[in-house]
Amino acid sequence: MRTFWLVAGSVLLFASPGAAQSPTPTLAGQVSAADAGALEGVLVSAQRDGSPITVTVVSGVNGAFAFPPGKLAAGHYALRIRATGYELDGPQSVDVADGRPAQVDLKLHKTSDLAAQLTNTEWFMSFPGTAEQKRALIECMSCHTLERIARSKHDADAFMPVLKRMTGYANNTIQAKVQRRPADVDFPEDRARKVAEYLSTINLSKGDTWPYKLQTLPRPSGAATHVVITEYDLPRKTIAPHDVRTDANGFVWYSNFVENELGRLDPRTGAHKEFAYPVLKPGFPTGSLALEPDGAGNLWLAMMFQAGLAKFDVKTETFQLFPVQKELNNDSTQESLLTPSHWQVDGKVWTNDVRKQSVLRLDVASGKYELINPFTLTGRGKQHSPYGMVSDTANNLYFMDFGDENVGRVDAKTGAPTIYPTPTPRSRPRRTMMDAQGRVWFAEFAADKVGMFDPKVEKFSEWDVPTPHTYPYDVFLDRTGQLWSGNMSSDRVLRLDPANGKSVEYLLPRPTNIRRIFVDDSTDPVTFWAGNNHGAEIIKLELLP
Amino acid sequence: MKFLTAKKFPTPKEYLRACLAVAAAAALAGAVSAPVWAGGSSFGDDDEEADEGPAYFGFVRDTSGNSIPDAKVTVGIKNRGGVVTRSDALGTYRVPGFGKDVDTKEVDVSCEKEGYKQLKTFRRTPANAANVPIVETECTLQKG
Repeated sequence: MRTFWLVAGSVLLFASPGAAQSPTPTLAGQVSAADAGALEGVLVSAQRDGSPITVTVVSGVNGAFAFPPGKLAAGHYALRIRATGYELDGPQSVDVADGRPAQVDLKLHKTSDLAAQLTNTEWFMSFPGTAEQKRALIECMSCHTLERIARSKHDADAFMPVLKRMTGYANNTIQAKVQRRPADVDFPEDRARKVAEYLSTINLSKGDTWPYKLQTLPRPSGAATHVVITEYDLPRKTIAPHDVRTDANGFVWYSNFVENELGRLDPRTGAHKEFAYPVLKPGFPTGSLALEPDGAGNLWLAMMFQAGLAKFDVKTETFQLFPVQKELNNDSTQESLLTPSHWQVDGKVWTNDVRKQSVLRLDVASGKYELINPFTLTGRGKQHSPYGMVSDTANNLYFMDFGDENVGRVDAKTGAPTIYPTPTPRSRPRRTMMDAQGRVWFAEFAADKVGMFDPKVEKFSEWDVPTPHTYPYDVFLDRTGQLWSGNMSSDRVLRLDPANGKSVEYLLPRPTNIRRIFVDDSTDPVTFWAGNNHGAEIIKLELLP
Repeated sequence: MKFLTAKKFPTPKEYLRACLAVAAAAALAGAVSAPVWAGGSSFGDDDEEADEGPAYFGFVRDTSGNSIPDAKVTVGIKNRGGVVTRSDALGTYRVPGFGKDVDTKEVDVSCEKEGYKQLKTFRRTPANAANVPIVETECTLQKG
């Protein structure tokens, strides 16, 4: 036996001399434009005919790009690029064959419609107006891009009914599936009028061109080009992946924000499967927001306007539903977040009721929810919203006050709340994760910062994100201590080193509305995952050496 | 990266103005609008301060009167929870008001810092003062 293995080993070495040192890419080439020569930072995407999978690499210095081996199988590929200001002249497609590296040189030309390429962040940069005026627009991105506003022709009067109509839409609304809010909400006419007037100064109501210069962010360069991005198209436009995470078996799970389905993707094959759960409140918006695992590997969903939580047993592939009981359940009941990670400690799962600006706690055995308002002590006129949630090993809750500027703690034993204001006022902390040391990392949505709260010493740290107007939605600290962040506006994934504040932003191939992000620490290097909430796709991002 | 600094804090004048504005708006609208979000505030964030009692403000000092930055300050109500913040570079802390229904007499201000023990807290604002915009408390820590 020993002899056999030795022989086999030497044959392998001879068969592929130097293969380990210089792998041969399956597709490579150079990107250039007539007006600028070779271009760095151009995203080159290849999608095989009939496949739901698109693979993207980024050109480096001298415009050279190369797909790593193993990423593309033989076949006919459609090619696409992303480089703000440019469009692809050609070629539009290429054949990739086994064993032979394909070579393709891409020619770009200047776009005649730059506005169609702007991210929400770039629109924010371009719009004139005060920070206060722009702040009102950050909610718009939940359902649509800012380009939609910029291209409209409404004057202030015409905007008023539009704004009113939009307050009537549920949060879990996408363009492909608009859902009405079941309970009426206030329409603050005077504030809406101010917004309407502002919107009429940034759109096309007064002419055919925008009365300001369109600002753009630079193309990726250096480290930001050392990346390969894989996109998995989901089979319906009405799939709105919100929270995404991988499991120990290599499957990717996601919550669908607008339909009562839990989705599962096998990234190795592209196979996709959905698990439906029943409607609890007919006529109410469907879909769930948060997807979180418990200690036993079950997946839990916060069912939004369906009012309750769902527990999915991954082994038996069955749901157990926990509707909010009658006394607490009304037309505006909305569970958006939850943390079941330590429910086995005391039998309780933390969740929220958005409209009541409160925390709810489910007793799993009885199915009853308990209402805990952590803000009973604070001024009632203030807006609060317990949002991102994590629990420690004793199942004490840490939540983000998305309506205001606090990290809150609710004691599992006494139910007593402690409120910790963030260093930055009006930071609106959003989603959160707890690292192995028990530190709470979070995105400061309205502050363009990411933060960390260390419960042991009850202290905060904050870091500015590199690009203003990105409005961080979520963060994830990976096993190497790098902090990742995703957002709804910049089409960029941020990787920040908390030790020195240095960061890299990776541009994504398509307009991408990111919500919950996830980093798979089991791979080397780590793998970043997110959903495109408005684009029915799952995104994988891997770093190249 | 920076550590906790003072939180925004209205001057008494700003505070009263905000109160009046909100009271007027509430009288017109009949109700204070509730948030709409998954979600966000509806059309910009209006920092409404209705029904808010006095804010809490003060200094953390050592026995020689030197200010102590980065001390943990707890503004709490017995058995009901509270707000935890830290003193800034000047040794001051600021916490916005609790609800009007919270009796300021029940609110306890305490401070801690490693290497120190709390000696006393002295409330400059008399406990029986009515409708004050701020309750000012000085917290003294002793080395050792």
